Amino acid sequence: MMSLPFVLFACAIGAAWLRHRGIAMGLWAIGLVAMLVLFRFHATEVLNIGL
Amino acid sequence: MSADLSRLLNAIGLLGISTVLTLAFIDQLWFKDLPCPLCILQRAGFFAAGFGIALNLIFGPKPSQYGVAIIGAIAGGLISMRQMLLHIVPGTGSYGNPVFGLHLYTWAFIAFAVIVLGCAIMLLDDRQFARAEPMSVRLKALPLSALLLFLTLAIANVASTIALCGGGLCPTNPTGYELLETTPI
Repeated sequence: MMSLPFVLFACAIGAAWLRHRGIAMGLWAIGLVAMLVLFRFHATEVLNIGL
Repeated sequence: MSADLSRLLNAIGLLGISTVLTLAFIDQLWFKDLPCPLCILQRAGFFAAGFGIALNLIFGPKPSQYGVAIIGAIAGGLISMRQMLLHIVPGTGSYGNPVFGLHLYTWAFIAFAVIVLGCAIMLLDDRQFARAEPMSVRLKALPLSALLLFLTLAIANVASTIALCGGGLCPTNPTGYELLETTPI
C-alpha cells in the first residue's frame, strides 16, 4: 500500500511523456491524495511540544 | 527569460531532485539505513513536486505546472516538518544518522523549501510563458536525461517500497526487507 503513491506518480510521468496531460494531472492528484492519506495513518502520536 | 532557458533551468532543477532521491537510495543500500514510513512519504513528496517540473520539460513552462510543483513541495514539507517536530525536544531521540550535522528529514524540509522558493522565483518572469512558436516535441539531451532518471527513480522506489513493506503499511522502525524475509513453515 505504501508503494501506491510511487506507482501513481510513475504512471503520471509516463502519461505526461506520452503527452496525455489531463490523465497525467489526474494521476498526480490521486497520488497526492494517497500520499496524504498514508501520512494521516502514520501521524498518530501526539507531539510532545507546546505551540 | 526564453522558454528554452526556462526548460534548461527546469532540467537542472529536476536533476537536483533526482540527486536527492539517489542519495536517499545510496543511504538505504550502501549504509543500510532503512527508511521509516515518514521517510518514504517524503520521497513521494519529492516525486509530487518533481512532477510539476517534469511537466515543464515536456509541455513547456506553464504557471499551473509550477503550481503543481509548489503544492507537491508543500505536501512533502508538511511530512518532513512533522518528523522534525517529533524529535525537536532534546532527549526525544532521532531517526537515522545525521549528515553534515542535520538529519535527513531536516535536509528534506530545507530541500522542499528550496523547491518552493525556486518555483516562486521562476514564476516572476512572464516572458517564458509568452512564446510565439509551439514548443518542440523533441527533447534535448539534458531534459531527456533528467526525465529518464526521474522516471527510473520512481520505478525503483516502487520496487524498494514493496520489498521493504510488502503489500501493507510499513513498520515504524523497519529492521529488514519484509518481502525478502522467509517465513518459517
